[in-house]
Amino acid sequence: MLRFQSFGLVLVTVLAAVSTTLVLLQPVEPQDGLQYWTFDRSHAQVASAAAANWNPRHPDLPVRVTTLTGPTLLTRMLSGFYSDTPVGDMIEVERGQIGQVFAGPVQDIGFVDLTDRIDRDGLRAAINAPSLSPWSLHGRNYGLPHDVHPTMLLYRSDLVEAAGIDVRQIETWDDYFRVMRPLFRDHDGDGRPDTYLLNTSPTNMGAHEVMLLQAGGGMFDAAGQPVLNSEINVRTVARMVVWMAGPNRMTADAPVSGPSAIKLAGEGYMLAFLAPDWFAGAIKKELPNLAGKLKFMPLPAWERGGRRTSVLGGTMVGITKACRQPDEAWAFIKHLYFAPETARRLYATFCIVSPIKSNWSLACYDEPDPYFSGQPVGRLFLNLAGDVPERIPSPFYASATTVLSAAIVGSCRHVDRHGITDPAAVEPEVRRRLDAAQAELLGIMQRNVFVAGRAP
Amino acid sequence: MRPQRFNFAPWLFLAPFLGVFAVFTIWPLLRSFVLALQQTYGPGTTAWVGLRNFRFLATDPLFWTAAFNTLQYTLGSLLIQLPVALGLALLLNRRGLRGRGVLRLTFFAPSLVGLPFVAMLFAPIFEKRTGLLNASLHWFFPLWDPEFAWMSEYVMSALILAALWIYAGFNMVYFLAALQNVPGELLEAAAMDGAGPWQRFRHVILPEIAPVAGFVTLLSTIGSFQMFELSYILLNNGPGPENRGLTVMMYLYQTGFLTGDLGYASAIGWVLALTLMGIALFQRRLARRYENR
Amino acid sequence: MLRRLANVLLYGLLIFFAVLTLVPFAYMVCGALKSKYDFAASLFLPAGGGWLGVGWDRLTLANFARLFTELGLPRALHNSILLASVSSILTVLCCAMGGYALAKHRFRGRDTVMGVVLSALIIPGPLLLAPSFQLLYNLDLLDTYTGLILPGLAPAFGVFLFRQAMLNSVPDELLEAARMDGAGEIRIFFELVLPLVRPMLGAFLMISFMGTWNNFISPQIILQSPELHPLSVALNNLKGLYGTDYGVIMAGTIVSIAPVMCLFLLLQKEFISGLTSGAVKG
Repeated sequence: MLRFQSFGLVLVTVLAAVSTTLVLLQPVEPQDGLQYWTFDRSHAQVASAAAANWNPRHPDLPVRVTTLTGPTLLTRMLSGFYSDTPVGDMIEVERGQIGQVFAGPVQDIGFVDLTDRIDRDGLRAAINAPSLSPWSLHGRNYGLPHDVHPTMLLYRSDLVEAAGIDVRQIETWDDYFRVMRPLFRDHDGDGRPDTYLLNTSPTNMGAHEVMLLQAGGGMFDAAGQPVLNSEINVRTVARMVVWMAGPNRMTADAPVSGPSAIKLAGEGYMLAFLAPDWFAGAIKKELPNLAGKLKFMPLPAWERGGRRTSVLGGTMVGITKACRQPDEAWAFIKHLYFAPETARRLYATFCIVSPIKSNWSLACYDEPDPYFSGQPVGRLFLNLAGDVPERIPSPFYASATTVLSAAIVGSCRHVDRHGITDPAAVEPEVRRRLDAAQAELLGIMQRNVFVAGRAP
Repeated sequence: MRPQRFNFAPWLFLAPFLGVFAVFTIWPLLRSFVLALQQTYGPGTTAWVGLRNFRFLATDPLFWTAAFNTLQYTLGSLLIQLPVALGLALLLNRRGLRGRGVLRLTFFAPSLVGLPFVAMLFAPIFEKRTGLLNASLHWFFPLWDPEFAWMSEYVMSALILAALWIYAGFNMVYFLAALQNVPGELLEAAAMDGAGPWQRFRHVILPEIAPVAGFVTLLSTIGSFQMFELSYILLNNGPGPENRGLTVMMYLYQTGFLTGDLGYASAIGWVLALTLMGIALFQRRLARRYENR
Repeated sequence: MLRRLANVLLYGLLIFFAVLTLVPFAYMVCGALKSKYDFAASLFLPAGGGWLGVGWDRLTLANFARLFTELGLPRALHNSILLASVSSILTVLCCAMGGYALAKHRFRGRDTVMGVVLSALIIPGPLLLAPSFQLLYNLDLLDTYTGLILPGLAPAFGVFLFRQAMLNSVPDELLEAARMDGAGEIRIFFELVLPLVRPMLGAFLMISFMGTWNNFISPQIILQSPELHPLSVALNNLKGLYGTDYGVIMAGTIVSIAPVMCLFLLLQKEFISGLTSGAVKG
């Protein structure tokens, strides 16, 4: 029988036989207990610690924590919601992906409506109010917030102080760019600037959203309708684009992790970062060479007396409809997100502050952090927690981001082409592009028959 | 042969093919007509929308971005890849060349690396500043900007380069096989008649390898039009900044399996499929006209 | 003189292109042997005080060790081997059977079936992606290996290749003689026909093995449980979790492409001739 077969053929046949046998011999691992899915290794550490505490008391229903990458978690979660493939009992969802969960008919939303549980347990007043908004649709809450993520400006205090600049004179973004301007220059004369003033660029959609939300703009109004071309958006974008493009460009993107980040940080490539609390934790870990060279200040406002913070990113945890023990899952996520122990751990490891008001009195938030030049970072962030802008989730969040980003990039190109430095001069172009983006988004929204027929 | 009795044997041999084909090709093919007229939220929830998918597609800027990117990638890779492949084949085909086997193996090796793994291998190469490509270009040509954004603004150029690395040697193998079929007497006769190298290439070699060239072009075009994982994995599971790495296939994947709209994905699939079939027919007609000449 | 110059140019060009082709491989191997910090600091081998100014002592196998212990790569490797070997063996068998019937049997409906095969060749895969997913959902085959292997079991392309190969290399007289001797159809197929198309068996085995091994989109869509993921999907997940830790990713890439390379070295001759036989007449 084997005489005609080449060695390669035999080898593959043997491989097939052996690997199949091995799989058949492998015992099927029982999927007992409650599955907790998260997209981040650090989140998993916190959840595992809480589970280690929880499991001895619930031996019949232990919590098992699984980490999946963001895109994988999204595919598996949606596949579970759409097609009943296995899915976790509790899933952490990132802000950028929650829109997908809300894209079908309301009765098909894969998460359990938690509104009544939150009210029954009297939790609404205990949670930082704006932090619930990204996870709520038409007044119903589908998740508990993991964080607040207030945003501040993290600047290179060493460079600023060496230049004799006093940051107390900065109240608005215009102040900021005027006062810091002397630091934006080409040190080695190669024709390329060596220090940029802010880490944003035409394609940095995260930074744009931070800016728009801070200014009081955004993508959707409270009813879920798109407001891309609102007056405040037009004015804000017009002011942003002249920093990011044209002869007056003073910003760039700087990586904060990876091979080149450490090198760039050492060279003083970036003067200041838009920094939510998680960013503080990340930079501390990734760029040890900046210890003692950084300080926080509230974001410069758009107008005098304006809002001094914004928000970037965020996570919720929800209970899936596939979960067969929602009461136990609810008990666990409350245990996880409300415990002072979790708050302490989140802060100690990642500088993330808790959305649960009763945790705000923890002593750890007041400890001076030597990495950030001795500032009590937690307290600085918490002082701003109540001012964080609300965010309205939408099934069309991703589409809105795409068309808005295209409009901003297009405006930047216009600024480049015509050498514009004055926001007023670019406003008509910005308005035209935002109008077009709005029209495009409305077209996309009207196409979705599942959502269009739903009362707002 | 006993033709009077019904012959079971061939049908037995064909059974696996016919069975799988009926269930997993014919049925989905029929369903794709139906799906293209529906909007879905996952495979379970569907609603009829008639021709609205196609009407929306015609004005969907994302689809056109994807189509433009795909076209750019396809043309870029064909125009660079095929001449390089043919050039390598001509070089390797020289009589008395030493080390042909090793060289052929070397050029062919990249095509053994699957696209997902190529994407992982090239991710650090295309990094700004520290990436191999920018660092070495900057080293050889100091004017080269080490910040050249291979993975955002110029992602299509990066993909074309990666595709060149993978497929140049692969296509070379086809050209080499064709060149080895060019009759030596023909070339000698042409040389006797005083034809220079270019004339020999133009009038003797090219007509002989034209059918293979047509086949390779068709294969590369069809492959390029369906490009997905190279860009998807290189750009960390997404279309990259400003959707510059979005291809038609990636858009189909996103709408069908992330947004859950299998209906719209089917509509995209139909447009892509008709384009590919059109290209194949066009190539066939060209080839036939060429042969009849 | 001119001749020598031309020769120098020829070899120069060829060697230049060969080096360009090999550079990414070298980069990958060096990268896999470096720590995260050396990866950032040097392009190929880390600088140091050793021979040739290279820090040989800084090279490490830690990336591989991590892959095989904490990062769970063995499971994915096993899955890839299982998927690729099982599906390529079955595919080769099904396609050879189909090709044999079409090439060497005369029966009513043969031309129709041949027409089906030829038209199936031009049905583009992307068209079937969405409806196939829905079908697998209805058949309850999502998240199973069956759902991944079954639809690709008998591609028309393979049936066509085998038909062409058998037309040329299986003489009718031989089959007639065997039938006269009373050999059964199945025995004839396995003992007579298959040995005669051995090159095509090897080539198509390699083609379908590679196709399955390197497939990304189907397992990405169909398989949801990480225990089932093959290397392409599993490694991409690692890339997401350890994005900038390129040493680990390079080591994983080496592990992922080495098996295909080895199989290729075994089947090289058959593979290349089989690959080009469809395009070049004769």
